[in-house]
Amino acid sequence: MPWDVIVFYLLAAVCIAAALGVVVSSNPVHSAIFLVLCFFNVAGVFVMMGAEFLAVIQVIVYTGAILVLVLFVLMLVNPDELPEFHQGRPIQRAVAGLLGIILMLEIAIAILNREVIGQQGAATAAAIESVGGNTQALGRVLYSDYLFAFEVISLVLTVGVIGAIVLALPERLGERIGTRRDTISLGHPRGTDAAAIGAGVAREQAPILETRDRFAAPTTGRRLVMTKDPDEYTGAK
Amino acid sequence: MDEPIWLKFIVAFIIMNVLLVGMAYMTWFERKMIAAFQDRLGPTRTGPAGLLQPLADGAKLLGKEDLIPRAADKPVFFFAPLITFMTAIVGVAVIPFGEQITVFGETINLTIADLNIGALFVLAISSVGVYGIILGAWASANRYSLLGGLRSAAQVVSYEIILGLSLIGVFILAGSLNLGDIVREQSRSLEIGPFEISNWFILSQPLAFVLFMIAAVAETNRAPFDLPEAETELVSGFHTEYSAFRFSFYFLGEYISMIVISLFASTLFLGGTDGPGSDNFGLGLLWLLLKTVLFLFFYVWLRATLPRFRYDQLMGIAWKVLLPLALLNIIVTAAVRLATN
Repeated sequence: MPWDVIVFYLLAAVCIAAALGVVVSSNPVHSAIFLVLCFFNVAGVFVMMGAEFLAVIQVIVYTGAILVLVLFVLMLVNPDELPEFHQGRPIQRAVAGLLGIILMLEIAIAILNREVIGQQGAATAAAIESVGGNTQALGRVLYSDYLFAFEVISLVLTVGVIGAIVLALPERLGERIGTRRDTISLGHPRGTDAAAIGAGVAREQAPILETRDRFAAPTTGRRLVMTKDPDEYTGAK
Repeated sequence: MDEPIWLKFIVAFIIMNVLLVGMAYMTWFERKMIAAFQDRLGPTRTGPAGLLQPLADGAKLLGKEDLIPRAADKPVFFFAPLITFMTAIVGVAVIPFGEQITVFGETINLTIADLNIGALFVLAISSVGVYGIILGAWASANRYSLLGGLRSAAQVVSYEIILGLSLIGVFILAGSLNLGDIVREQSRSLEIGPFEISNWFILSQPLAFVLFMIAAVAETNRAPFDLPEAETELVSGFHTEYSAFRFSFYFLGEYISMIVISLFASTLFLGGTDGPGSDNFGLGLLWLLLKTVLFLFFYVWLRATLPRFRYDQLMGIAWKVLLPLALLNIIVTAAVRLATN
């Protein structure tokens, strides 16, 4: 058996096993690790097909950025508070299984019925060689034939970014920019100086309050609001 | 190009071992340099000028007890340091150490893997390296570690973008993602009037170079961007629970990725093996080594000079200052390239 066939089956086997691991493992962080492994093996398959650029982009974008953020979120969540993935909810499981089977059938029918088997597209080896390689060929197609789709995707992503920023903003933006220049530090008397923050007093002139006066200070502007009741953490309630 | 695979393995083996020894002496170099900055002597007892100190450190680390927290996620805890170590070392595969040489009638290509997307390969590998930190932090089941891991995740994702965008100017000028091609483009000399200067990209892309260096320091988690392991507030952050040789994998990984990034920076901006007499393989290698040591010195210099950034400052600089500058650099470079072509 030639080497590349062996390597391909190795990659494919690990990839499928990792994909199974994503679904089967009960710990969401383990699922994410399996997904990383799966993406890596898909990148390996891309390399074997001569699409090195695609493989590297796959690793940079999916493994290096998106999954890092997924892990970021998973690590902040208490695992006990997650919904149960592997038990209960019989209707959801039945619907999910049905949809999965339908999707698989669709793909199978599409593959079996396609008419382009054995036909050469525009991207022949010679055509790619003439522009200097896969990366160059991809760039040319992306920025000429598919420019419109490319720009639309950019626009959608920009909208997403703006949306995320808007969601993360405090409710009254103008006030905050006008009055605050430093971060709030609960350990520092000036950090909880509500009067200075509210009235927009310059940093140098802000009076440093005694600890006992911190929360009794008059508030003329935006007040510091704690997101949660402190008693929630101590269980004193 | 067509060399037998066993020869490739021999070259890879040699380069990897040189890298490991280089890493060991990087720690010695750093300690000596920091000592000089602080008017101390540094290691002096082990061997002449403390030259055997790395060996002593290694022996000491191997002899320590390997502690595993009871609440740790054991499989993840075991392999997380290996991710950091392996991804750090793999990046060296695409660095061109010169053109071909002939030894005993065999032609040897001095780039282990001459990929046509070599520069992106380094970026991809360094972006995967963060998993070692995040997973190690999570698996330790320690609050401080987790905070270090979260900082690291946000920091690396942000600075990776700067790292990638700062290189686009170089790619536009070189017209290739292959590191060998980039070096060849830089070894061409330009004639401006009566002067003849080399085409090193640090001259044509000064802004990109500065951005790249800042992002590279952040990407390798070194001072002043070493927030994931801030010892004063996080008790060493992500590797608090790691001891003995598992800790040493993180340590090795950090220093090796410093060396690889320095090699990468020398290749991209300082002409790699280019220099007077670089047609000779040995001299070319010497030039590359000199440039790399320059960058490594820069790393140590930064650590000795600058205090650590605060977390919000770190993210603010990345997104509000460096990112617009990187985009500006791309636009200007592309416009100039379009106008001169």
